[in-house]
Amino acid sequence: MKKLITAPLLDREEIGAGYHVLTFDAPDSPAAAPGQFLMMRATSWGDAPLLPRPMSYLSGGDKPQVLIKVIGEGTARMATAQPGEEYSLLGPLGKTWPESTLGKTPILVAGGVGVAPLVFLARRFQAQGVQPVVLYGGRTDQDLPLSDLLDSIADLHVTTEDGSRGDKGRVTGPLMSMLNDSVEIFTCGPDRMMAAVATIAQERQVPCQASLEAPMACGFGVCLGCPVMKTSGEYLYTCVDGPCVNAADIDWNADQ
Amino acid sequence: MKQSITIGSAELSNPVLTASGTFGYGLEFQEFFDVGRLGAICTKGLSLEPRLGNRPTRIAETPAGMLNAIGLANVGVEAFCTEKLPKLQDQGVTVVANIFASTTKDFVAIAERLARESGVLALELNVSCPNVSEGGIEFGKNPNMCAELTAATKAATDTPIWVKMSPEAPSIIAVAQACEDAGAEAITAINTIRGMRIDIAKRQPVLARGMGGFSGPSLKPVALRIVYELAASIGIPIIAIGGISTTEDALEFLFAGASAIQVGTASFIDPLAAHHVRVGIENYCEAHQLNASDLIGLAQAAKK
Ligand SMILES: Cc1cc2nc3c(=O)[nH]c(=O)nc-3n(C[C@H](O)[C@H](O)[C@H](O)COP(=O)(O)OP(=O)(O)OC[C@H]3O[C@@H](n4cnc5c(N)ncnc54)[C@H](O)[C@@H]3O)c2cc1C
Ligand SMILES: Cc1cc2nc3c(=O)[nH]c(=O)nc-3n(C[C@H](O)[C@H](O)[C@H](O)COP(=O)(O)O)c2cc1C
Ligand code: FES
Repeated sequence: MKKLITAPLLDREEIGAGYHVLTFDAPDSPAAAPGQFLMMRATSWGDAPLLPRPMSYLSGGDKPQVLIKVIGEGTARMATAQPGEEYSLLGPLGKTWPESTLGKTPILVAGGVGVAPLVFLARRFQAQGVQPVVLYGGRTDQDLPLSDLLDSIADLHVTTEDGSRGDKGRVTGPLMSMLNDSVEIFTCGPDRMMAAVATIAQERQVPCQASLEAPMACGFGVCLGCPVMKTSGEYLYTCVDGPCVNAADIDWNADQ
Repeated sequence: MKQSITIGSAELSNPVLTASGTFGYGLEFQEFFDVGRLGAICTKGLSLEPRLGNRPTRIAETPAGMLNAIGLANVGVEAFCTEKLPKLQDQGVTVVANIFASTTKDFVAIAERLARESGVLALELNVSCPNVSEGGIEFGKNPNMCAELTAATKAATDTPIWVKMSPEAPSIIAVAQACEDAGAEAITAINTIRGMRIDIAKRQPVLARGMGGFSGPSLKPVALRIVYELAASIGIPIIAIGGISTTEDALEFLFAGASAIQVGTASFIDPLAAHHVRVGIENYCEAHQLNASDLIGLAQAAKK
């Protein structure tokens, strides 16, 4: 059940260009599952930036972690946060990744900071004795945070658009060659990447779960700020109906 | 000290409410605190038929504030009555139904539907939504239209009518007075002001609709000025809204002449904000040996 807690930052580790892992000391943190997220902001922010920022759990437990990429004001402040700084953490929120279908090999397709909920998922697979395949794409080798960690718990394949690491190109290349009846896909990354992955999955009739992103104000279904268009012509609300959804339910061509 | 407040024919257990559109249908907050302890909650704006709402992007942040162009997405009055209201009643929540339509006829139809239910304390007429193409704010700018609407809905129901003001009316005082004359039991003020943001990289407005309603802490001085002016000009109670996050914010509005307040955007930043404000006012009253009703208008010049 979701809970609002105040917790001090325990540690901030910079892990490459613009990426940081934040760890909180939160013994009263409720249990979170892979794919869920929290709404977070520092107490010291006062009235600006105003809204808490949605971040996926990188890990749960009593020392929850998030991986952040510096985008704007809020994430820039997180990137300079010092141990001891107080954060309000509201979570766990949203739908988790569903359990995998028995006997299928999971393929995790990650783009950039979208890797966070997939690392958490890979750990769950590891605990279940399943080794997932991870396809991890970035623009350059600077855009692959946590790839070493993934290498140790999954069968990792890396692609970069400039060829600075792994195969040159996009994740969809190697993905095509891996698809068959006994795999299923879990993806999180930029919208265009997820749309491409979802389209391929649909064509090849492979089950595909995606973790969506949308601007959010509340994170728990009351502001109605986070709609995403479904193929049915109705909206789902990312914070409560997602972020993890069946990719086939989403209208990836809707202008959003 | 006594916390109860009288708003026309309605009695509230205390002066703290939550603002429409920022508190869902109330049930979502039960995990955080006992919502039944609040004076009342105002529902998301209800329309005659369910509404999908606007295309995304619907929200954006501004300095100490935010913009929204939700477009009154809601379940519709029928689903509200059958699915939400019974649960709210079970949990002892006092409910104000915020209602919206683009014609007087539809406002009346919603009022009639809600009149068949027990447990709705008041109807708050949203004549001030900036985020829909028809009705909404055009009603709210015009004293005659507002008066006619107030009278028509009042004739359709025994439930008290409150009217929610747009800060963009050329004369809010004229609109509020017209509503008072037409039988409104309270004025709620204010709804959002239209604002916008532009995405530099995309060279286009951030919100799909271009503009949206501006709310949050940075709206407070404008709301406070309006409430202060209204309090000196009308006889019916005012329920204040606009950037209220803390007990101190709420006290400013009560001193300005509001009889009660609504917590809005603040509930997104802290889901317990309304609860904290309710407790804070109670503590203030104890410390100063005043009833909540004694706080109303303490800063009005006429009272000095
Ligand atoms: C469910 C969910 C999980 C998320 N998980 C993570 C995570 O694990 N790690 C992480 O780093 N980020 C994650 N994000 C994205 C993160 O919330 C945004 O990057 C963050 O809110 C930006 O805040 P800011 O104050 O730094 O930037 P702002 O000042 O708010 O925005 C700066 C610019 O970025 C744009 N922007 C705002 N939100 C987003 C967004 N969601 N995606 C892309 N651009 C955006 C704005 O339009 C603006 O132009 C997640 C988002 C969601 C909805
Ligand atoms: C996301 C959002 C949705 C809103 N929806 C409604 C609505 O449906 N009906 C209404 O009368 N006001 C609506 N409002 C306006 C608020 O009730 C309130 O008048 C306004 O936000 C100013 O108060 P605040 O600064 O405390 O948020 C909405 C505001 C926000 C931020
Ligand atoms: S973020 Fe508020 S409804 Fe989803």
